[in-house]
This record gives sequence, structure tokens and C-alpha cells, in this order.
Amino acid sequence: MTQNLSINVHHLTRVEGHGNIVVDVKNGKIEKMQWQVPEAPRFFEAMVRGRHYTEVARITSRICGICSIGHTLASVKATENALGIRISPQTFKLRTLIKHAENYDSHVLHIYFLVAPDLFNAPSVFPLVPTHTEVVVRALRMKRLGHEWGSLLGGRTTHPNRVIPGGFAEYPTEGELKNLRERLVNLQPDLDATVQTVLSVADKLPSFERPTEYMALSSDKEYSLYDGVIQTVMPDGKKQRWPVSDYKSCTNEYVVPQSTAKYTKNKMGSYMAGALARFNNNYDQLHPEAKKLAEALKFKPLCFNPYMNSVAQLVEVVHSVKDSVRLIDEVLGAGYKPEELAQPTKYGQGQGSVEVPRGILFHDYGYDKDFMCTGGNCIIPTNQNHANIQLDLEALVPKLLDAKRDEKAIELGLEMLVRAYDPCISCSTHYLKVEFKR
Amino acid sequence: MRYIIGIGNYSMADDGIGLRIVEHIAENGLDRGFKAIDIADEGMRLLFYLNEETEKIVLVDAVDLGLPPGEFRLFKPEDVASTKELGKLTTHESDILEILRFAKSLGYRLPPITILGIQPEDLSPRMELSPALRERFDAYLRAALEEVGKDG
Repeated sequence: MTQNLSINVHHLTRVEGHGNIVVDVKNGKIEKMQWQVPEAPRFFEAMVRGRHYTEVARITSRICGICSIGHTLASVKATENALGIRISPQTFKLRTLIKHAENYDSHVLHIYFLVAPDLFNAPSVFPLVPTHTEVVVRALRMKRLGHEWGSLLGGRTTHPNRVIPGGFAEYPTEGELKNLRERLVNLQPDLDATVQTVLSVADKLPSFERPTEYMALSSDKEYSLYDGVIQTVMPDGKKQRWPVSDYKSCTNEYVVPQSTAKYTKNKMGSYMAGALARFNNNYDQLHPEAKKLAEALKFKPLCFNPYMNSVAQLVEVVHSVKDSVRLIDEVLGAGYKPEELAQPTKYGQGQGSVEVPRGILFHDYGYDKDFMCTGGNCIIPTNQNHANIQLDLEALVPKLLDAKRDEKAIELGLEMLVRAYDPCISCSTHYLKVEFKR
Repeated sequence: MRYIIGIGNYSMADDGIGLRIVEHIAENGLDRGFKAIDIADEGMRLLFYLNEETEKIVLVDAVDLGLPPGEFRLFKPEDVASTKELGKLTTHESDILEILRFAKSLGYRLPPITILGIQPEDLSPRMELSPALRERFDAYLRAALEEVGKDG
């Protein structure tokens, strides 16, 4: 066993934001093992209080530039539940279609740009341009479709301004939906090539397992992304369900010293949210093509290897593409037309939940008789995964030490584990710092 | 097509200036003769606007220019060198100069690009702009609208 080790990964790269991994081993004893996350305080409550119901989703969509579609959807669903706004079957399907767009787009980014460099032994996607040009170009082509797919349903910007309580503010034309359908069908060669690329490096994914509880939305009707009830599956395969209104009793937020983000737990010391959690909960409802891919990769539920989250994302990419073709066919086949916005029928408290790329997301609002927001709450999936990441690291480090890996290999193994969760810590900034050339 | 593109993070005070300019343009119907695009946290999305049909891009972003807070400059990507310490290309902790280098390495033909760089005062986790940037918001807006109409 390795006797002394000091790892301090400050601001882990290729995750969305800042997180630190700190490991201290002295004389073979682990003295410190922490996943540290400085989360930006969000003032969620203050952002929504006193706002009219028609404004709330627009404000909360800004919480995250990556999952703005998911935040908008969770927000309008919570508002609609609080105000008794009943949406049409067409709205339900179009929203599921934009949900697919977000998950597809984010998963393609994560698989190709954040995870693949580890599997190709590259520090980033940059050095892969000359050696794997075709893969990078394909990744960008697939990414572009995701961006345009989301924009078509949500509007031209990242923040989807077409999705509003009661339905849609604007609609894509029938021709635009047909065009999207054609592009999704024509994506098949890129999907096949992606599968081949992943198959060629799949053996580089570490074989680490730690059984835990997995939480995801679930429904008897479909593979839940846009709608469902809360479900968890335990390591023995036992499943249990709660209504979304009970989300607080399943998430049990608590505070830990090493993080300003709140942690969560349910039946066990932690639970996992995200693509692997959805896969483990709802495998049977995946599209047959997505299942076929999972079978080719010998990937089946229950899978206890968190590194496989990226592979579950790939399975979901295929599912989202195939299921979206079905949705477009159904929408167009049922007399597609713009609809009036559904209106409030009551006021009070309401919750909304959707599956964003990183897992289950909850929004919760109260409204008064004038439909003004009296308060709100939001629990993001990244926070729900922090405790599970911590427990994974605690289980993984002794294994890597026993295997006498060198410090660099251990560091990479830990970084890859955290990246597999695709955490979105969102306190990052993007500003430029420049010097003018003389 | 011409574009004004905003990039940044709403939750980090002045880092959201580019997004707010673009949003203001879209909400007030000022996007005549060009499109206002918000690419938020994802610089990679800039790549989708780098093509033959693009005549001009104005990128609005918070930039540490070493000037007093609220000051701004219009400049070309080739006029500057990034001094931000970036180990690796990420989607988040990136800057647009790096994205443009990435595009060039892939053989993209870059259209004329002007960066409207605004010196931030506050990059802490807050959902609002600092007073220095709020005060000069109209000046940034005018500069962006004027620049997008220019050729080259």
C-alpha cells in the first residue's frame, strides 16, 4: 500500500465550475479525503418573491446557463401546479421534445469534450484536433444539432423564452418540425460512429463499484425526463415512490463543513442522481435502439459503477433522438396548431420536477390570490450528488492505494470519478483578461 | 447575417454584462438587421456562428483590460493576447480567444469579429450588475449597435 500521499486538485478542470479534491495520506492512514465545493449563494427566495407568475420562470432560467431549459420547465411546472393551470397534450409533448434537446446537447458535450480526453490520454479536446480530427468535427456537428433543436422549441437564445406557464409563447412551424425530424433521422451515421468511438475506449473506464441508492423521476407511461413521480431503487433492486410534493422528505438537505452547497440523503448515507440513476430506475422504458446499444456494451441495471454515468448518457442520447422522432410524428399527426395559453384556476403552493442532464431537479413556489409569488425553493441535482461523490471517493482511495498506483494515476482516477458525475458548480466566470499587443 | 453575441454568467455580477446587453436588445426589438444571441456559459456555441454566411460578429463580454471599472474598449481578437491562466480547454472556465484558436485549428474561416470588452468591477456571486456598469449600460448598448453595422 502507498504510505504517503498528498493530492490537492484545486479547481478541477472539465467540470462546470469550481470544485476541489483534497486527499492526505500519512503512514498508510487516510487523514483527509474531501470533495470540497464552494457553491455561489443564489438568493433564490429573494429572486422570485413578489414576482408575477408570468415572470418567475424567466428569472429562474438564469440560474444556470447550461440547464436553463430544465430550470424553465421545472419552474413553469411548479407554477402551473400551484395555480391549477392545466396544459394540453400537445404542450406536454412539445415540452418533452425540448427536454430531450437539452439532455442530448449536454450529454454530447460531456461525453465528447469533458470525458473523452481522459480516455484518449489528452489533457483536453485541443490536442485531439490533429490526431482525431474526424471525431472532433463529428462532436461539433452533433453539438450544433442540439443547439438548434433547443433553439427551435425554446427561442433563439439559451434562455428558452418561448416556454411559459400555460403553454408556449410561440411555436415552430410544421415545416420546421418536419425538418428537425429529418435531421434526427439523418443523425444515424453519427450515432453509430459515436458508439464505435466509445466502444474503442470503453475498457479505459475504471471498474469501480459502490452500491448506493439511485433517485430519478419515474412514470408508468414513459422513460421520465419531463414528468413523473420521485422513485428510488435500492442496491437490492427494491423500488419506492413518492409524489413530487414530498420532495423535501426524500432530499433531507443538510450542511457539511467542507462545502457551502447543501448536501442531501434519503434512505442511505447518500444517493445518486443523473443518467445512471435514470438508467437504473427506468431501464425497461428506454427506446429499443437505446437498449440495443446498452446490450452491445454489456451494460445493464443495476449498475453500481459511477464511471458508467457517461455511458448511461450515451444510451440516453440515442433514446432522446429516437423518442423525439416519435413525439414529432404524434404532434404532427394530431392536428398541430398554436394553442391559447391555459389560465390559472386557483392559487397556493406548487412543486415541479424534471430530469435535467445531471439528475432530478425540484422547484417549489407559493402564490397569493393576485398570482404574485410569496416564496420559492430549488434543489439542484449537482448538490444531491455531492454526498455520493464524497462516499465514492472514500471507498475508492483505499482501493487505489492498495493497488499501489502512483500519485498521478490516483489523482487522475479521482478526477475522472468526479467528472463522471458531470457536476455543475456554476460559480465560474468567463471574463477575458487581456493585454494589448504592441 | 450579422450577430451581437453575449457570453457570461448571470449569477456572477458583472460577468453577466454580455447577456444583459443581448437581452435588452431582444426585449426592446432593437435587433434590426442583425440577430441578438445569448450563448450564456457555453463558449463552444460561438463556433456555430463562425461560417461563410456570417458577415460580422460583435461579442460583448466582461474583460479585464486593466482599466477603471465600467470603461470599455472595442478591439479585434488579433489585437490582444490572453493573460488569463487557463490550463485546459473547458466549457466553463474558458475564454472566447481560446474558442477562436480552437476554431482556427479546425480550419474554420473566421468572419470579422469585434470584441466589446467591458472592465468589470464585481465578479462575486450576485444576480445584479455593479453600479459602475449599470451607470454606463446605455453607452455599451450604443457602442454594440453602432459596431454591428460596420463592415470589418
